[in-house]
Amino acid sequence: MRKLLAGTAAVLLNSAAVLLCSAAALTSSAAAAAASYTADPAQSRLEFVGVQAGAEFKGVFHKFTANVDFAPDALAGSRIDVQIDMNSVDSMDKDRDTTIRSKDIFDVAHNPTAHYVTKTITKTAAGYSAVGALTLRGVTKDVPIDFQFVPAGAGAKLTGSAKLNRLDFGVGQGDWKSTENVGDAVKINFSLVLKPKT
Amino acid sequence: MPNQSPPTRYSAVAQGFHWIIAALIVVQFTLGWTAQFLPLGARKLARLDWHKSFGMTILTLAVLRLLWRLFNRPPELPPGMTKFERQAARVNHALIYVLLFVMPLTGWMMSSAKNYSVSWFHQFTWPNLVGPNEQVFNLLKTTHDTLSWLLFSVALLHILAAFKHHFWDKDDVLKRMLPFTKSEKRS
Repeated sequence: MRKLLAGTAAVLLNSAAVLLCSAAALTSSAAAAAASYTADPAQSRLEFVGVQAGAEFKGVFHKFTANVDFAPDALAGSRIDVQIDMNSVDSMDKDRDTTIRSKDIFDVAHNPTAHYVTKTITKTAAGYSAVGALTLRGVTKDVPIDFQFVPAGAGAKLTGSAKLNRLDFGVGQGDWKSTENVGDAVKINFSLVLKPKT
Repeated sequence: MPNQSPPTRYSAVAQGFHWIIAALIVVQFTLGWTAQFLPLGARKLARLDWHKSFGMTILTLAVLRLLWRLFNRPPELPPGMTKFERQAARVNHALIYVLLFVMPLTGWMMSSAKNYSVSWFHQFTWPNLVGPNEQVFNLLKTTHDTLSWLLFSVALLHILAAFKHHFWDKDDVLKRMLPFTKSEKRS
């Protein structure tokens, strides 16, 4: 009887060990499958499109870093992480850029960077969509993005877009809260040329 | 109707073009002049937003007016005018016509150069005429501002001349452009 019990226990322990090992193997294989990349700043572009006085205007952020872990078959372990230097905003008009950097809009003196990091990535008919947390002007809110991931050699190209409401993040205080002159909705377009991390 | 004798009065269409554009120019001058003293902010944007929409309206009306003018003879100048007066009237009218195009066009171009596209009353956006460029913008702004004073001057001369015709010469030059009036028959 004691022998039998000991035998069963040993079997149970063995199976538990096997289970643990395979679980570890699973997670490590998923992590390994999502390759790590960084965006090449010279070739990558982060653009926003706002509406001002009834007409669209485009601007870009010249300085941002993007770290991407991605594999189509390991979406759970995939992640896009973007850090944006808000001072690098360029709407192709110096006067407007100065205004955008000021306290009432980006308030770059207190919030020099914005951060976006995905929480979940799912496959869609057109490519992928993700939900991530955007921290902008000190406010963090979820913003969904749609994107395509196209492998190119050792790297890849990641292009996509998002929509957000600037007032959700307090971008626009005082007079700028009005959406009559500057629309609430802002479109974001990005095109990242990814290089494998070394 | 090339063989018909010229009309003695401006037609309702010509009067319509004249007075609507005249009123819009007054509005434009007020909006443009006052906006330049405002700091870049919501109020300045709102004012220039109206200025641009009215400006594009004037440009559209100017195109239609010129087309209409090409196919419809205006009444002739009164017989008592000297050669110099006729020449001055012709030059002044031509300048006003040119400025009706050049003012909106330089405004449209300077908006494009500053990367502030022009909307028409938030209904649609006009295409940009030039790419963003600070030097080009500064040059166009100087041109637009300077020409606004030229327009102010020729418009003032135009008004003074109309009054001179009406009160001094006592002819029907002013009356024939006024709706709801009758011009005396010329012998």
